[in-house]
Amino acid sequence: MATSRKVTLLSSDGESFEVEQSVAVESITIKDSIEEGSAGNPIPVPKVNSKILAKVIEYCKKHVESAKAEDRVDDEDLVAWDADFVKVDQATLFDLIRAANFLNIKSLLDLTCQTVADMIKGKTPEEKRKTFTIRNDFTPEEEEEVRRENQWAFE
Amino acid sequence: MAFSKLPDDVISQIISLTTPRDACRVSSVSTSFRSIADSDQVWLKFLPPDHDKLVLPQVSPKKSLYLHLCDHPVPIGGNRNMVSARFETWSEPHIFSLDKKSAKKCFMIGARELAIPGGDDYRSWCWIAEPNSRFDQVAQLLFAGWFHIKARLETKMLSPKTRYAAYLVFQFRCHKSGFHRPAVSCVSVESDTDTHREWPTVVLDPGEGEPRSTRERGDGWLEIEMGEFYNENGDDGTLECSFKEVDEYTLRSGLVVEGIELRPKETY
Repeated sequence: MATSRKVTLLSSDGESFEVEQSVAVESITIKDSIEEGSAGNPIPVPKVNSKILAKVIEYCKKHVESAKAEDRVDDEDLVAWDADFVKVDQATLFDLIRAANFLNIKSLLDLTCQTVADMIKGKTPEEKRKTFTIRNDFTPEEEEEVRRENQWAFE
Repeated sequence: MAFSKLPDDVISQIISLTTPRDACRVSSVSTSFRSIADSDQVWLKFLPPDHDKLVLPQVSPKKSLYLHLCDHPVPIGGNRNMVSARFETWSEPHIFSLDKKSAKKCFMIGARELAIPGGDDYRSWCWIAEPNSRFDQVAQLLFAGWFHIKARLETKMLSPKTRYAAYLVFQFRCHKSGFHRPAVSCVSVESDTDTHREWPTVVLDPGEGEPRSTRERGDGWLEIEMGEFYNENGDDGTLECSFKEVDEYTLRSGLVVEGIELRPKETY
């Protein structure tokens, strides 16, 4: 298979991105559709807009390049690059999670999920609600019951 | 809002990347988060990966099993993976539990499983039943000039990527004597070839005004830290925890040993 083969990805808002096939197949979803022969040309990527698709492609390119690198000294650099990559606003972070999940890119999903997990750690329920704008829909009795069940976590 | 709109299995994944304590706090955020945070999908990730190989009480759901294992240590054993310090083949049960906050495995090796040279000498040691012990029998030192207590455990039994500390769990009798003198303790693995390393000294019964490193456990026993070990992947072979008095000229008596416990070193 020619490694320099290119494919075109089409975002949900109609923008085209030409990428190396080796980068595109970081997404198992895209890989499967290419192998099944069901991928069109360009390959439509519904649910992922151009801003997010551009970021996803940037991530995949970087990881494919690093894997090719002869020396593994790049590992620490890659970790630092990943840490910078996820320094985005919350909305973008969740869009990246959705995209990674839909496109089935495990390493990106793991990275973005861990980022959100780190934002959750150590916070009280009220802080979590504030950080992520979640509505408390417990009745006072239910809330009391849940607190009692999980008392040790609040000590 | 965006967080709640993620697919449930993605939210599960995120919660399972936090800690058991955080997962319990997430339960209190909203009704939908409660059902995800309490799910087996999340708590399976907090239970040790090999927990289904151990004979555990039939408790479900997984969150309840997790909490049960933290608060109700279970005897496990008769396992070739656990090298008995005294007997080459059969090993008596160790006591297994989980550290609630970190989900790491904890083990307590009972006195009967420790190597105590002279432990069979009825003049020096006797084996007694102690009501508040987890084990059937504990070892009481009657009278000896020196002693050496050793526990061994395969590192593959421990949780990976965890810093463990070993603790001697003991009590004194009223007539205790001789424990104001220093002892040495060491926690090391077979692959650790640094035999010239000095063992740190500990004092079980310091005098008034002297620094005290023993601690009350809250279960009627005392403990003292013997040393630390960082378990990377569980492939360092056998871990050995030793405690010995060095001064042969001081006669000692009145020590009761329940066992040696291995648990994650507290960093909080």
